[in-house]
Amino acid sequence: MKIRSFANFIKHDKNMMFSIILLSITLVMILIGVFSKYDPSQYFLFPKSEPPSRSNIMGTTSLGQDTFLTLAKALPNSLLIGSMAAVISRILAVFLGTFGGYKGGKTDGVISVIAESFIVIPRLPLLILIAFTFKQQLNILSMGFILAILDWGWPSKRYRSQILSLKEREFTQNAKFSGMGDVEIILKEFMPFLIPYIIVDIISGIIWAIGMETTLSVLGLFDLEIPTVGTMIYWANYHNAIYRGIWWWWGFPVIFLIITIFGLYLLSASLQNYLDPQTRIQRIKVSKEEVKE
Amino acid sequence: MKKSVIFVLIIITALSGFSQVTMATPREETLIIDQISRYTYSNNYNLWTATVPNHIRQTLLFDTFWYPDQLTGEWINALAKEEPIYNEDYTQMTVKLREGIFWSDGIEFTADDVVFTVNYLMKNEGLRWGAEFRQNVNKVEKIDKYTVTFHLKEPNPRFHYYFTVRFDACYIMPKHYWEKVENPMSNNFYPPISLGAYKLKSADPAGYWTLYERREDWQRTSEGMVSGKAGPKYIMSIFYNTPTAKAMAMERNELDLFMDIDIDTFKDMIQRNPNIRSWYKDFPWAFPDEIDHRDIAFNLDVYPYNIKNVRWALTLSLDIVDLVTNYMEGVVRVNPMPQPATSYHMEHFHIPMLPWFESLEIEIGKNETFKPFDSSIPFQIADWAKKEGYKVPEEEEKIIEQWGIGWWKYEPEVAEKLLINEGFTKNKQGKWLLPNGEEWKISIIAPPDEIDAYTQALWAASNWRKFGIDVQIESLEREPFNVRNNTGDFEVTTQWSIGGAASSFVDKWPYIQGHHSRYYAPIGERAVAGQQSNIVRVKSKELDPIIDQLEKTPTDDENKILELSQAYLKTWVENQFSITTTSFKKFITFNETYWTNFPTAENPYGQPLYWFMGGKFVFPYIQPK
Amino acid sequence: MKKGFLNYFIPRIIQWLIVIFIGITVAFIIPRLSPVDPVETVLNKMTGYSVMNPEAVEELRESLQAMFGTEKNIFVQYGEFWLRLLKGDLGPSLTMFPVPVIDVILTSLPWSMFLLLTAIVIAWILGIFIGTITALNSKKKWAKILEGFVTFLYPIPHYILALVLLFLFAYLIPIFPLTGAYGMGITPQFNMQFLFQIIKHSFLPALSIILVSLGWRALSQKALVSNLLSSDFMKYAKIGGVPKQTRFFYLISNSALPQVTDLALSLGTVFSGSLIVEVVFSYPGLGQVLQSAILQGDYNTMIGIVTFSIIAIATASLILDLLYPLLDPRIRRS
Repeated sequence: MKIRSFANFIKHDKNMMFSIILLSITLVMILIGVFSKYDPSQYFLFPKSEPPSRSNIMGTTSLGQDTFLTLAKALPNSLLIGSMAAVISRILAVFLGTFGGYKGGKTDGVISVIAESFIVIPRLPLLILIAFTFKQQLNILSMGFILAILDWGWPSKRYRSQILSLKEREFTQNAKFSGMGDVEIILKEFMPFLIPYIIVDIISGIIWAIGMETTLSVLGLFDLEIPTVGTMIYWANYHNAIYRGIWWWWGFPVIFLIITIFGLYLLSASLQNYLDPQTRIQRIKVSKEEVKE
Repeated sequence: MKKSVIFVLIIITALSGFSQVTMATPREETLIIDQISRYTYSNNYNLWTATVPNHIRQTLLFDTFWYPDQLTGEWINALAKEEPIYNEDYTQMTVKLREGIFWSDGIEFTADDVVFTVNYLMKNEGLRWGAEFRQNVNKVEKIDKYTVTFHLKEPNPRFHYYFTVRFDACYIMPKHYWEKVENPMSNNFYPPISLGAYKLKSADPAGYWTLYERREDWQRTSEGMVSGKAGPKYIMSIFYNTPTAKAMAMERNELDLFMDIDIDTFKDMIQRNPNIRSWYKDFPWAFPDEIDHRDIAFNLDVYPYNIKNVRWALTLSLDIVDLVTNYMEGVVRVNPMPQPATSYHMEHFHIPMLPWFESLEIEIGKNETFKPFDSSIPFQIADWAKKEGYKVPEEEEKIIEQWGIGWWKYEPEVAEKLLINEGFTKNKQGKWLLPNGEEWKISIIAPPDEIDAYTQALWAASNWRKFGIDVQIESLEREPFNVRNNTGDFEVTTQWSIGGAASSFVDKWPYIQGHHSRYYAPIGERAVAGQQSNIVRVKSKELDPIIDQLEKTPTDDENKILELSQAYLKTWVENQFSITTTSFKKFITFNETYWTNFPTAENPYGQPLYWFMGGKFVFPYIQPK
Repeated sequence: MKKGFLNYFIPRIIQWLIVIFIGITVAFIIPRLSPVDPVETVLNKMTGYSVMNPEAVEELRESLQAMFGTEKNIFVQYGEFWLRLLKGDLGPSLTMFPVPVIDVILTSLPWSMFLLLTAIVIAWILGIFIGTITALNSKKKWAKILEGFVTFLYPIPHYILALVLLFLFAYLIPIFPLTGAYGMGITPQFNMQFLFQIIKHSFLPALSIILVSLGWRALSQKALVSNLLSSDFMKYAKIGGVPKQTRFFYLISNSALPQVTDLALSLGTVFSGSLIVEVVFSYPGLGQVLQSAILQGDYNTMIGIVTFSIIAIATASLILDLLYPLLDPRIRRS
């Protein structure tokens, strides 16, 4: 039943359709990048600064790299950083948010206040400070981690409010009476409710993290020899690509970044729609009508 | 009605969007130059504190005794009338000052200013040159209105170097201003009292531009007296934050002169605006003679870079032709030793030493020697340039003049032999392993904001990776880069001036005195400061006696000085304490729409390094079109 | 009544204090984990040009240590840090030693504030407006396109949008200047020409900030308004013949309040966005100072800006929170 309604949903929801189109483009690039043996750190393999042509479909960079293949390597790196950051931060957020919400009282108060701080504090200057301090140790893994520890605030509040409402439900009381421990209750009873929201939330986490990684890389605060969308733009700027009319070097990374981000956004928007009870009812009506036909 | 208003507004904005510069002075009378940095805390002209940007302002508003022109080597007496006069045992230095020089506020420059300056700098902590004077000077005495004698604590035939400009030298202070200042560290010296041919007219409070006006009494300055010419009436320095903005300004004829830009942008610019050019009218365009050299240097206290054969192996696995042709497009000279490969020094060092280089041998095994020098390299580069369609000189000397005397051979096989002899091995994937079996990983530190240094890091990494070593480049911002160099926190660095820079005379001593082992600082402690930093931590029993001898040789014994300076270089090269790669080029670019007669290859009358203090003697010759 | 007041204010003030405390402590800890030694950096700068001998360098080093005290016990440092902070002393800039960081910040702050405030206000008003009209006309095609446009902008990183705008309108079609807050050769003065310069130079940066913030504002406003439209009192108002303008006013006034709270929460993001926009357009505000601090490794300035931003944003947020009851009669009454 669930799968069927989901399938119906995909058929009808425009957001989802576009999202799938866009993300497929991203996926193709990623697959090319993963399976390609091209090494972007081999400079001057190609004539430099050439516009798109048959041999280099996205042209070449001023370092003699093939833009297309470099981007194919860069996009998965950016996404990897984004995904790691999103997953780690949401794990942290789930843990802190549910724990606080469930326990209530002082624990909740303390966690809430800290979460609030992480929401209000402007994150970019702090990120810049951290990235600058740990410049030497910055790689895909550590960047993901750094981004994660700054993005758990807002999500943890959302999960907390979910828990607060779930806490009062009957099944919770039942579970308590039947002798289930706190952690068990959280994991077995609450999580199934939360998981759809967490998935949607992870997607917005990815969007934020990719944006931040791009911003930091563009400022030079990353390992500049690791290809990411941000470092490609950094190098393009470094070589004055805008003035010199080398639009393909920064243009394609920007376009693919936007495709990926927008695709992810539409995905999360449509999933959110799917989960929203009000629109659910409408969908059920529509699919029932279809069945009748 | 509304629509047309909007339309008109758009047109106005469109038209005005073109110009970024609003002129308060006539364009034909104003020379607009690149300010190089933003004076973030503006209106601070106290250049005697070490952290205020001094380029250009020092050129136009400050002065000192002696300037060897950094291109031609010509000795210019500025505030001094003649060269320094030492007594027999070099414990006294007398300076005869030029008469008739006036500060911009009408007070005459006299020996009082000199005596005051030295005493003031000695007395107040934290001012530049204070520490050096405290160390060297017993007393500074005014003999008469235009004569000063320094009484030194110890014999020092090089004391005059403190007043001899390479980039800068001790600026003389106006006594009548500073004698009233209690706390010089917090004084801004604003408005500045100028000793140069220009005075400050107005400046942007945010530090983006400064406007200087030629003094009416410009003849009463050292520039006026030495050149006899007036120079541009106004000079405006502008800071454009991005190379794009800078290039566009020059393309639109809103900028006349700037310090440097990357080669690709330069080539685009000259295609768009034929009035723009650099030192050479055509290839290779760039000014090749900035008085320094580029290096890839090792930390000699870090294993395995303390092993001479390992260093040679790393040198021989670098393909310099690759660097000069692919990465740098043929616009630099190769340079095998730590002495700037400028025309002046090539004449005294590189060319006479060529036979020595060609006969240099290193041991690569039992009874096996190898001659690592390759004098055909400049010709290989010339061939490449010909293939690219550039006009290339035919005569041998001209090719050497253009691309250097030669460099080390690209011989990965010999490099392998050297490493194997030291116990290194290669694993199945072709990666090099240290004698203890670990994979060899090299870490290079490089500053992205110094384009050539960073480019060379990319080149070295690429070549060494091809050779089978794992290399990582750490990009560092300028300050952390400097700190890590000074404290020895690196394995390989792309810091320049390693092994000693130079000025336009043959005496190498000021730039190598810090390499004496008595100044050695282990990793974690800072190396001796400035141009003499012993960043690589060399501690050599071969170099010490040379440096000692050089110190004792008086500077007028030119032959001995030259011989010793060369001996130093030979020792350094034999040991490959660092790998000197190329000369120091700059795309000093000018736009000849409004101004002309900049120094060029066709007319090399002086140094085009306008941000060096010595630039002051070039400005008078720049004429309106 | 008084008790109610206090009940509202005190928790928020405590919250403010805690946010600042946590933020500042983080800003204090992070640099202590770094290998960059501020004393070394300044020493390096000071000895970079001149020919200094080892004794002189040692002399200098000791006096810098006394000033920065990086070798003292960490708790002592922490205490001194707070003491200096309370006096408004963020330490000296490392690249422009001994200019105080707070001076550098205050000099560029007016430009940032001008840009930020203008952009925030315009984005807020415009966002609410767009959100409302798209909600009211949700079936119409132009509303859907407008909504799509705004949705498209929402997830785009600030940097990318600013870069694209720079390319399109300062380079490709050079209507706007590439850098700065005003042209070269002009000193700030109170006249039309200067004002025109400012507008010309701030247009694209402001537009970048506005476009990105617009997305979220419009979308959330649309959601709020849609909810309101289906609420009872709005339905009754329509049936009861309340004029269109008044109904519109109901919509706005009822959705404005949650939007104010939301504004308070999004200040951090907008501020961060403005920093990066300033970098792209070389606009001489805090973003530029931050960028050159990064380029030169001026650690003290970086920490100073982080500290300053935390306090500024937290305080701005608090002010908005405190203004809220003035706007919402429901809270006032309770």
